[in-house]
Formats: sequence, structure tokens, C-alpha cells
Amino acid sequence: MNRSAEQQMNPLREGLSTRAVPQPCSIVIFGATGDLTHRKLIPALYNLAAEGELPPAVAIIGFARRPKSDDDFRKEMEEAVREFSRQAVRDEIWKTFSQSLSYHQSEFGDEAGYKSLGERLEKVDTKRGTRGNRLFYFAAGPDQFEVILKNLKAAGLNRAEEGSWARVIIEKPFGTDLASARELNRIVKAAFDESQTYRIDHFLGKETAQNILVLRFANAIFEPLWNTRYIDHLQITAAETLGVEARAGYYEKAGALRDMVQNHLLQLLCLVAMEAPTDLSADSIRDEKVKVVRALRRIIGPEVAKNVVRAQYTAGAIGGQPVPAYRQEKGVDPKSMTETYVALRINIDNWRWAGVPVYMRVGKRLPKSATEISVHFKKAPAVLFNKETVKIDQNVLVIRIQPDEGISLRMLAKIPGTSLRIEPVKMDFHYGTSFGKPSPEAYERLLLDAMSGDATLFARRDEVEEAWAFIDPIEEAWHAKKDAPELCFYPAGSWGPETADDLLARDGGAWRRL
Amino acid sequence: MEEVIKRYMPAIAETYSLGTSVEIGKIEHELKKLWREGEGAMMRASLMNLAVYSEEPGSLNNNTQLMARITENHACRAIVIEADCQSQEDRVDAWISAHCHVSRGGNKQVCSEQISFRLKGGCATQLPSIILSNLDSDLPFYLWWQGELHDPMDAQLWEWVDRLIYDSHGWKDFPAQMAFVETAQREAKQRLVLCDLNWTRLDNARFALAQFFDHPASHHRLAKISNVRIDFAPGFRSTAILFAGWLAAQLNWQIDEVRSAHELRFNEMSGQHIDVDLREHDGEPVHEVALTSGDVEFRVTYASCGDLLEVSRVQNGERRIPQLMPAAGNDPVSLISEELMRGGPHRVYLNALNCVRDFL
Repeated sequence: MNRSAEQQMNPLREGLSTRAVPQPCSIVIFGATGDLTHRKLIPALYNLAAEGELPPAVAIIGFARRPKSDDDFRKEMEEAVREFSRQAVRDEIWKTFSQSLSYHQSEFGDEAGYKSLGERLEKVDTKRGTRGNRLFYFAAGPDQFEVILKNLKAAGLNRAEEGSWARVIIEKPFGTDLASARELNRIVKAAFDESQTYRIDHFLGKETAQNILVLRFANAIFEPLWNTRYIDHLQITAAETLGVEARAGYYEKAGALRDMVQNHLLQLLCLVAMEAPTDLSADSIRDEKVKVVRALRRIIGPEVAKNVVRAQYTAGAIGGQPVPAYRQEKGVDPKSMTETYVALRINIDNWRWAGVPVYMRVGKRLPKSATEISVHFKKAPAVLFNKETVKIDQNVLVIRIQPDEGISLRMLAKIPGTSLRIEPVKMDFHYGTSFGKPSPEAYERLLLDAMSGDATLFARRDEVEEAWAFIDPIEEAWHAKKDAPELCFYPAGSWGPETADDLLARDGGAWRRL
Repeated sequence: MEEVIKRYMPAIAETYSLGTSVEIGKIEHELKKLWREGEGAMMRASLMNLAVYSEEPGSLNNNTQLMARITENHACRAIVIEADCQSQEDRVDAWISAHCHVSRGGNKQVCSEQISFRLKGGCATQLPSIILSNLDSDLPFYLWWQGELHDPMDAQLWEWVDRLIYDSHGWKDFPAQMAFVETAQREAKQRLVLCDLNWTRLDNARFALAQFFDHPASHHRLAKISNVRIDFAPGFRSTAILFAGWLAAQLNWQIDEVRSAHELRFNEMSGQHIDVDLREHDGEPVHEVALTSGDVEFRVTYASCGDLLEVSRVQNGERRIPQLMPAAGNDPVSLISEELMRGGPHRVYLNALNCVRDFL
């Protein structure tokens, strides 16, 4: 969202609808043989190249343990791009793009591997004109972060020469609790300043997530209603049909609360609930977001059982296909107590949101995959059309994050006829229908932002730590030896346990039907 | 339902038809009927009113085909008009149809409606009333004027137009045509945005050239430009001149000397000369641009595959690794799609135009 300084200074940029091309740089991907690199990072970089948004001088260096030649790496990446790229691969573009790819084989803990990486980067600077700018992407497991950071620092790669830059992108999880997040931040800070650190949350790279601020602050009609006076409650849902897939090892330790709520869902809540920033700079926006997390009323001790529901899926069916229970999935403990579903009732203790509950739910093996935010407005006064004898629905504004990105507004209309009957109708905006051009993948946007030095869509240290401070008491209550809230169960293919419905029912509400 | 789709909505692979003939006074009624009967299977979408006006015989069918492709990416109410101003007969015929495409999600038919008109006789008087009574409310109105503008022009029309799209490349008399356009802009009280497809043609080449100077370390190169070479295809001199105008306007160059129709000399603020050499040969409208600044040449050229640009920086004869970037298409659908993707005024275009309008 920042207009880069280069764009302001380059007179030939004026009026062009495309953004400034980032400075030339080398991108080093740690964990280059992993899933994230294959499915997301290299396809995203290829798409940027195909759109002409990568700088001409760019070098992408895969860093991993397995022995592999540059050519082998290129071949592997070509297959990955052909399979996962959002646009068809063009041979001419691939040929040019693939020249920027190379592979550096080293153990993450091998100091010599970083020394040789440094030498390689210097050669790349000369050969490809990358000018000493370095972007380190941590696509390896979080258990490797510390050793990579220490070695980068020892090799002096965390520092850039005058006029150049060194940045690091860290993938979630940013710790597993507040203590580990602080420790991770301390380790990162020992090598890279906060201004060099980009904590990626791919939800923020999605077009609709970015559109939340536009919807709220570029339109005059919503903001006056965006408060406790007119809003009854908010709902945030992240549902997926998938089970744990190949992530059992990680998921068993994390669970839905840490995997989704601590980062993605709280980030979405921040965008919906934050005050207007003073400007569109990264820190202005992040200052307002962190205030929201700070204002979340902590759910502690006995409050956890009242306001949070955790559950795990049992065997069921999705789309007519039988699926096993979580405990029967490969790599999962048959007695696992890990939650695959969590629903929360949250209060934001600030002037704008006092008395407006926020209901969040996230779950695996639900009937459909959908992520959305719904704003439920208060009902009209109980007179005229809204007498108690007639059931009248609320106005609901829905922001669909994925799939089918868009916005809809439910309102009431008279059914044509001589009698007075009222029904809800929906005004619906679909990105795919209105704008023919497909949105870039979240990783494309975020990689480009990191190369350009724009941290707006990345989580700041204090945001992460405040989010853990909210999550930790819930985890503690769940894992208490005495009076721990029960783990509920729901059949795969259902919308979660009944106890989650009770969270809203006791306030007179219900989850939105998706 | 099936019958409705057949009547109004040709499948993409079929020959594009004008749809069903309708009475002028019943257009809205027939459109409502169309959507009512087709509800469920298709979704009407519209972001703008896009009217295309032409006096070329046969343009109604040609433009219907273009609209079918344009609406794949730009949902709109399309108003396609063919006018025969010389006809002795005064009559208006109208048709309605829809262009449907499977949405990106793949589960819905997204449709744009088209109203087609054939005007005969007093065109100038008929045009505003025809257009104004068929605009979809609360949506911006873009008018794509094909061919040359001429008198009489009705001020009433311009007051409603948000963007006037034209292609100066085909104009025989640039100053006279520009006078019409500027009159329209005055009558629209400067609200009208001028969109010249001849300028849109340059978008990707401008982007490709601009990106060389995004890095602050390259900025000083702009002040040292001494030569510009622009290779253009026969008939596209005006496109090349606009490119030169863009550089001159953005870099504060003043015209110093017109050495020939293909050689211009500008002065930079420091007094340095910049020679602009326009070379005509077969190829894309603007086939290659090369800027010389000191010992560096910045080059943007069409790649051999034809739809990509190759950008490279050559220093002391040593060529850096070239990069490929998307090139703009020169067909009307690509140009209009590109134009519709952008918003805001075209101040940079006007500045470029003002720098070189005497040579167009």
C-alpha cells in the first residue's frame, strides 16, 4: 500500500497502472526442496516474471540439504511451475526465468555452507547485477530457524553494504506460545532488525483481505454504522473440507487454535475492527491493528469453557465420500486430544466495539471450504414491519475471502403482491464476475512487497506477541490438569459440534449458513 | 429457458448475431423479460455502459463480435451503434442480445447485455436521445468513437460521457480532430477523460522503459540521455511521436529543432541536446526503442515470438541478461481491455500530446 520512494522519483512512472519494479536482488530460499517452494514460491516468482514485475536482475538460489545440480533444481522447479502456476507456462519466459535459478547444497547447520553462499552471492551480484540486495526466505521448518539465523549472522549475510539491503521473510508458525514467540523474535532480532523482518501471513495477501480497508475507508456509507450502535455481532469463519493431510506431525502439536486463530483469523479481525490509520504507511496500519489485539478481553480460567469450544472430527463423509476420523489419520495419535475445530466468543473492550461479540470458528472436515467475515447489523425497531410476531432477519454484510471472493449485503424487501410479506434479498458483488482479470496469488503480492520494502501486509513483532498473549490462557486452560474444558467431537462433513451453536444461541444468534 | 438462450444468447463458438429485433420503446421491457426468463442459469453483470459508435457499413456485426470478446473481461451494458448519416431514410432499428461467458469460478454464466442500433438519416439528432434513454443507471458511460468526428456534434451527449475513447492513429487531420475532441471536453466541463488508443498502444513499452529507472542509482541516467531511437511500423508515425512526446514531457525537454519529419532535437534543462530519430520499418507499431545515456543503452524491443518485449541494458557494448515482459496487443479488443482496466485522468497523455501536437 505504500507508494515506494522510487516510484515518486522516477518521472517515467507517472500515470502507469503498474507498480514500480522492485530493486534487483538475490532471493535465497531455505528449504528449497519443500512443498512450499514447489507449490507456492517458485510458481509465484514465475508469475511475477511473466507479468514483467520482477526486476531484470534477479537471482533465486535454492538452499537445501539434498545434493542436486543447478540443472536438476531447474528441472524440478519447471515441473512444479507447470503443475501449480496460475497461468500457463510459456517456454520463452521460462527459459529466461530459469536462468535466474540455481541451487546451493548445504546442511542448515553447516557454517561452511553459509560462507560459500556468501561467495556465491557476491559472484551473482557481479554476474547478474543484483547489487548486494538479499532476501532470505525461510521456507524450512521452524525448528531450523535458529540455526539458519545464527549461521547467516556468522557469515555476515544479515548485513548489507551501504546502499543495499538484506531482508528476511519468516513463515508461520511464529512460535507456539508467547514465550516461544518472544524467544523466536529475540533470535531473529539478534540477526535482523525489525525493519528487515517480514513475517508472512498469506491471508493478508489475498485481494479480499486487502479490500477490507478499501471497503471500510473508501466508502462513506459503512464507517458511520461500523460500531456498537448499529452492529449486533461479527462472525468470522474459516472452514475447510480437507483433513490433516500430510501435516499430522505439525498439526498434532499445533491444533486449530494455534494453526489458524492466532494468526490468520486474528489478522482478519484486526482489519475489520481497527480504527482508520493516519495514513497508508506500514506502521500506521500496523499500529491500529495491534491496538485491536490489545483490546481483546482475555479469556482466562473458567471463562474458557464458557467462551471457547474445541472439537475433533470423527469419521463421516464429505461430498458423499467417506472420510476417516482424525484419530485414524496417518501420523495422528489414536488418543489424540488435538482440536481440529475451535469456536470462540470474543469481546473487544474498546469504545467502538464494547458489547459487540465476535464469534470465530475454524475447522477441518467441514461441509465446504469457505473463509468469510460477516457483519450482522442490529434489527430495525420493533414497530411497523418489525413487530415481534413477524420474524425479521438482520441486515448482513458478508466479505468473502475465499473462494469466490466478493461482498454481499442482505436486506429486506417486500414480496410482490397485495399482502405485506417481507423476505431477505441479497446484493452480491463477485470479483470474478466484475473483474475479468484474475487476482494475483497472495504469495505474488507478498513477495513483491518484501522485495520493495513494503511491510504493510506483514505481521509486526508486537502484533504476533499480543496475539499469543490472547491465545495462551486458552491453551493453558485446555491443558490444565484439573477442570480442563472437554474436547467435543463432530462427524466429518457436519458444521461442528452443537456446543459451538450454543455459543451464539445463548445470545439469541446462530452461525451464518454457508 | 433453452429457447430464451437460443434466441438471445449465441454460444461463444457461434457466429455472433444481433439477437432479437425489438421495438425502440420496448427495449427495457424486453431486456427485463430476457433476464427474468433466464434467471438461475445466468447472472447479469455490469460495471459500465460501453457504447461504440461507427459510421462504417457492416460495423454493427463487427463490433458485436468485438463486444463478445471484450465482455469476457469487462462486464458492461454494451450499446452498439451503426449510423448511416447520408441516408435519405429516417429510421432506427434495434436489437437486444447478451454475451455470456462461464465465470472464472466455472459454475455460472456471466452475461452482459447488448443493445444494437442501426440509425439512418439525421444521426446527430438521434444519437444523444438513443444513447441517453438506454443507459444503465448509476454506471459510468464510456463512448468509443470509431473513425473521425465531425459536425454537427451535440453538446447534450458530451455532458453524459465519462470517458471518450478514440484512436488518433487513424485520423487524417490530427489538429482538426483534436479540436473536436477538445470541444467535447469543454462542453463536458472538463469532466470528460480522453482515452486515445494510440496512447494505450504504448503502455507496455512505456512500462518496460520506465522500470529501468526505478532504482535510485539509475535516476542520474535520465539527465544524461543524448539519443532516442524509435522504430515504428508504416502508418504508425503518430504513435512514435507520442512516445517521444511522453519522454519530453516527463523529462522536461523542450523542442529545439525539427530537422526532418523523422528527426527531432530537444533540449534538456541543462542545455544538453537530445536527438530523437524516428525510423520506419515493418514490424509492430512501435517495434523498438533505444535510449542512449552516456555509455549505457536501454533497449526495449519486440521478442521474436511477437507478443513479448525483450528489455535489456547494454553498457560499453556488453549486454546484460535480457528480460522478457508482456507486450500489448495491437488488436481493438486488447487495446480496449487495457484501456478499461485503468482509471483516473490521463494527465500524462495530455502532457505528452501538448509536447508534440505540432508534429502530429
